[in-house]
Amino acid sequence: MKPLKAVYNFIVGDMIILIGSLLVFLLLALINNVASLTPIRPYSGAILIVVILVVLSLTLGRELRGRK
Amino acid sequence: MEWAVTVAAFLASAVEFVEAFTIVLVVGITINWRSAMIGALAAAVALAVIVAVFGTAIVYYVPIELLRLIVGFILILFGLKWLKKAILRYSGLKALHDEEAIFEETMAEMRARGEDITQIQPTAVALSFKSVLLEGLEVAFIVITFGSNATSSHSGIGGIASAAIGAIVAGILVIILGALVRAPLKQVPENTLKFVVGIMLTSFGTFWMIEGFKVDWPFADAFIPILAAIYLLASFVLVTWLKSQKRSIAASAVGSLEE
Repeated sequence: MKPLKAVYNFIVGDMIILIGSLLVFLLLALINNVASLTPIRPYSGAILIVVILVVLSLTLGRELRGRK
Repeated sequence: MEWAVTVAAFLASAVEFVEAFTIVLVVGITINWRSAMIGALAAAVALAVIVAVFGTAIVYYVPIELLRLIVGFILILFGLKWLKKAILRYSGLKALHDEEAIFEETMAEMRARGEDITQIQPTAVALSFKSVLLEGLEVAFIVITFGSNATSSHSGIGGIASAAIGAIVAGILVIILGALVRAPLKQVPENTLKFVVGIMLTSFGTFWMIEGFKVDWPFADAFIPILAAIYLLASFVLVTWLKSQKRSIAASAVGSLEE
């Protein structure tokens, strides 16, 4: 468990960033592999940018709430 | 030569070298330079082996699309981590990273031990080795990830070599700068460097992850600066928002004290 935690802290160290990034990765994998979702495929980049900004805002918002 | 990769690797590596160099400097001054240099050189050799083994394996045996997906994902994680810290520092919600404070603190701890400073000290070697290895691993990671993604191009110098050049130049510059000032590298605006690197890592990560899914960006590689501009603008908005929230928290705290 200790090495796993060390790797987690080394790479990200933030659960919101990790879960948000994993979810968007899975979402993009679905969009690009499920036939019925292919019309959304060209918007993959825009989806990723929006999710990244939402994740960043959420994690910063959590830090702010922690200081209230 | 892949200049974008070299510059990105240079900036990212410079941050890590500054941190590692601060510890080596403390060990060198407080215990002895022999121990500090042995630890640092041993770590450098270990890192060279890691880069040689894993760099080659990654480049030759992993499909480029898969590599882009994984690397893009990891770069986004790294980039968001750095960007978050830099934004928190700019907005005043987190103290600025003070290399001088770290230097003084570590120095006081080491003086308190009162060890003999003329012979090779295993503790000093280990401390120097550990700091250089840990920070260097991040540099190695940056070199491999940035470099391996650029190997599909047909330039004279490969991607890993371009990234390695950026990292080596950063290392040499940090060492020269450190030797000249003979003090922790307070002069380097670390938060600015981290902020820029955070933007670059996130931009490259976004770009490569989508390319990994075999989706093309408009304007191809030229979209990377556009991504950087988007993240830069968003960061500016977030810093402004956090600052205003911080002011309102402070105002409400003062108000509740007066009541």
